[in-house]
Amino acid sequence: MAAELTSTKLNPESHLILDQPLLRLPHELARRNFKTVQRVIEREKENVIPALKEAANASLSNTHTPDQTLAALDAMISRMQGLKRKMESLQEEERRIHNQSRKRIHHLEELHKIPSLADVKYDQWSRVRLDRLLVDHMLRSGYPESAKQLAQEREIEDLVDLGVFTQCQRVVESLRRGDTKEALQWCGENKAALKKSQHNLEFELRLQQYIELVRTQDQSKKFEAILHARKYLTPTHELQNNSEIMRAAGLLVFSQNTHAEPYKSLFSQDRWRVLSELFVKTHHELLSLPSQPLLHIALSAGLSALKTPLCHSAYTSSSSNSQSTSTSVCPICSTELNDLARKVPYAHHSKSYVEGDAIVLPNGRVYGKSRLMEISKNLGAVQTGQVKDPTTGEVYDEDDMQKVYIL
Amino acid sequence: MDLVHKEHERLSKKLKGAQSLKNVQSTIDMLQSARDTIAADPNQAAVTLAKLQNPVKASFESLNDNLKETHSGLNKYTKSLDKLFKDRPLPSTELDALSKQENLINRAIAMHLLREGQFSVAATFLSEISEQKAMSDSDSGPSTSDNTTNLLDEVPSDEIRRQFSSMYYILHELKEKKNLLPAIQWSRENREALESRGSNLEFELCRLQFVWLFHGESDDQSIRNWKAAIDYARVEFHTFIPRYLREVQQLMGAMAFTPNLRGSPYANIFNNASSWDDVAQFFTREFCSLLGLSADSPLYVAATAGAIALPTLLKLQTIMKSKHTEWTSENELPVEIPLPPSYLFHSIFVCPVSKEQATDENPPMMMPCGHVIADESLRRLSKGNRFKCPYCPNESHPRDARKVFL
Repeated sequence: MAAELTSTKLNPESHLILDQPLLRLPHELARRNFKTVQRVIEREKENVIPALKEAANASLSNTHTPDQTLAALDAMISRMQGLKRKMESLQEEERRIHNQSRKRIHHLEELHKIPSLADVKYDQWSRVRLDRLLVDHMLRSGYPESAKQLAQEREIEDLVDLGVFTQCQRVVESLRRGDTKEALQWCGENKAALKKSQHNLEFELRLQQYIELVRTQDQSKKFEAILHARKYLTPTHELQNNSEIMRAAGLLVFSQNTHAEPYKSLFSQDRWRVLSELFVKTHHELLSLPSQPLLHIALSAGLSALKTPLCHSAYTSSSSNSQSTSTSVCPICSTELNDLARKVPYAHHSKSYVEGDAIVLPNGRVYGKSRLMEISKNLGAVQTGQVKDPTTGEVYDEDDMQKVYIL
Repeated sequence: MDLVHKEHERLSKKLKGAQSLKNVQSTIDMLQSARDTIAADPNQAAVTLAKLQNPVKASFESLNDNLKETHSGLNKYTKSLDKLFKDRPLPSTELDALSKQENLINRAIAMHLLREGQFSVAATFLSEISEQKAMSDSDSGPSTSDNTTNLLDEVPSDEIRRQFSSMYYILHELKEKKNLLPAIQWSRENREALESRGSNLEFELCRLQFVWLFHGESDDQSIRNWKAAIDYARVEFHTFIPRYLREVQQLMGAMAFTPNLRGSPYANIFNNASSWDDVAQFFTREFCSLLGLSADSPLYVAATAGAIALPTLLKLQTIMKSKHTEWTSENELPVEIPLPPSYLFHSIFVCPVSKEQATDENPPMMMPCGHVIADESLRRLSKGNRFKCPYCPNESHPRDARKVFL
C-alpha cells in the first residue's frame, strides 16, 4: 500500500521523541538531589543518636561533668543546625528543579492541544523547539555565551539546561588544560552512580595522574607515582584494568620520548583529549542525555525527508526556484543547507506530485497552466496570447503549450 | 502525558509541605530545651537525657519515613516517564550523518540567527566560533586551520545583517505602524528584479496603500480620505495602467460606491482583515527570494520536517534491526514520509513504470502522446525500436521522446 504523500496529522505522543531529555534531565537531577538529602540525614543520624546515648550513659554513671554534658549537647545542636542549613539549600534546589519540570511538562502539554501540523500554534511550538535544539547544540559544542544569549532573548531559560552544560564544559576545559582536579571532584560527587557506568572514568583519571608523575623522570616523583598507583590504581583493580596496570608499571622504565608502543601513546598529550571526551560521555550517560546534539538528529532526518533528486540537479528545476514567483525557495536548495544535504539520502516517493493542469513548453519545461498564465500576466512585456517561461525567460505562443500526462 | 503531569504535581505538593525540615527543627528544639534544663539544673542531666533518647530517635525515624515517601513519589514519576517514552528510545547514532560537518552546521545556524533578526546572538556565536578555532589551531598547528577560516568568510555576516535589518525595519513599519512607504520604496528600488520574477509586489503594496488612505485613521469614509486616496491614485497608478488596468479600474469603480462600499461588489478589496498579514508575508518572501533564500528559515523547516519524520524513521530502524534486513539503496530513504503540503517544494516525478524517482542520470522523457516515463524505462521498453506507449495505444520511436524538466 502506498503511503500518503502528504499529511497534517499530528501525533503528539510519538512527536515527543526529541523531547525526552527535556523531562529526563531534571528528573535525574532531582534524584541526585534526593540522594544527597538521604546521605546527609543518614550521616547526622549515625552521629547524633549514638552521641546522645553516650551522653545519657555518661551522665547516668556520673563520668561527665555538667559542662561536658552541655558541650556534648551543644555539639549535637550545632550538627543539627548544620543539617537544617544543608537541607534548606537542598530543598531550595529541589524546588527550583520541580519548577523547571513543571514548566517543561506544561510546554509539552501545549503540543497535545494543537490539532494539526498545519496549525499556526504548531509553527510557534516548533520554533521554540528549534531554539531549544540550537541552545543544546551550542552548549555541547562549547559556545556557552551564545547559548545563554539565545535562551535569554527567546525566554526559554527554563526549557534548556544551561547550568548542567556549563558545569560540564568547565570540567572539560580543565581537562584540556591538563588538570584532573575538577573531574575527580565530579567523580567523587557521583560515586554511587558511577559504579553502574561502563566507562571507567575515575581509573583513567588516576592513571593520567600517575603518567604525569612518571613523565617528570624525577626519582622522588617516581616513588610518589608508585605510591599513587598502590593507593588508587590497584584497589579498583578489576580484570579489565589488569593489562593497563601492568602497562603502567612498565611505563616506569620509559621516558616520554620513547617510540615504543603502547608507552608512547600513554605519554601522548592526546590522552587529555581522550579523557575529556570520556568525561563528556560518562557525564551525559549519567544524566540520560543523548550522546550527540539532537539538532543533528533532527536535521539529518529533516534534510532527507525534504530532499529530492532535483535539489542537487545540474538543471534548474521549473518548480520552485528563486526566479519563479508563487513558490518559495526550497530549503534544501537554499544556500544555507545545500552543502549540508549533499550527503544525505533523498526522500522516497511512490507517486508523482505535479500541478494538475501540467503543460509542457517547447523547451521541455513543465508548468501548471494556470500558474504559468498568472506569472506571464504579471511579467511585463508579454503580449496577450503569449506566455513567458519564468525560468529561462523564453516567450512562446499560448498555442505552443502542450498538455503533458504525468501519472 | 496526563499521568506524568499528575505524578509531578504529587511530587511538588510533597515538597511544599516541607515536613522533613519541620522534623529537624523540632529535634533542634528538643535538644535546645534539654540543654536549657540541664544548664539551669545540672542534677536533671541524667533524667533529661534519658527522656530525650526516644523522641530524637522517633524524629529521625519520621525523617526517614518522609524520605521514603519522596522516594516512592520519585519512582512513580520515573515510571510515568518511562511509560510516556516507552518504545521511543533516544535516536541512535546511526541517524546522525552530520557530526562530521560541524562547520556547515554552524554556518547554517549563523545564517539562521541572522535571518531571524537575532543579530547580537549571531555576533556572539561567530566570535565564539572563531575563538574556539583560534584555540584549537594553536594546539594542533596551522595545518588543519585552512578549512575552518573559510567558514567565517562564507558567512557574509555584515552584508546579510544589513539586508535583514532593513527587512525587519520595513516589516516593523508595515506591521506595527501600518506604514507601507518603506516597503514601496524597496519594491521600487528592486523593480526590475521583481518584474523578472513576475512578482506584482509593488502593485499589491500600492493598492494596499490606496485602501489604507481611503479608510483613513478613523474609518469614517469622509470626503477628505476619499480625496487623499484619489490623489494617490493620480500620482502613482499611471505606471501600473498597462499591466494592471483591470485592477486599477476596480479600485476606481469602487470609488463610485462610497459611502456604501460594504454593499458593493468591491467590498472584499476594501475590507479584508488579513490583507496586512498577507502583504507582509508576500514582502518577506520576495525579499528573501531576491537574496536567493527561502522565506522561512531553512533550518527551521528542516528541523521541523525532521521532527515529523523521526517517528517513522525510528520505527523503520527497529523493524530493520529485528528482521536483520538492510536497506541497499543508499541514495534514497526506504520509506515514504508524509509531510504537510507546505513542505513540498518541488514537483516530483516518479516513473509510473519503474516506480523510481527521476534523477539527472535518469530524466523524465515525454513521448509524443504526452505521457511521461523515465529514460531507463523508455530504453528498456523500446529496445531501440518503435514501441507502444504503456498507457495509450499510441506507438512511437524512442528518438521522438523529449526530455522534460519538472
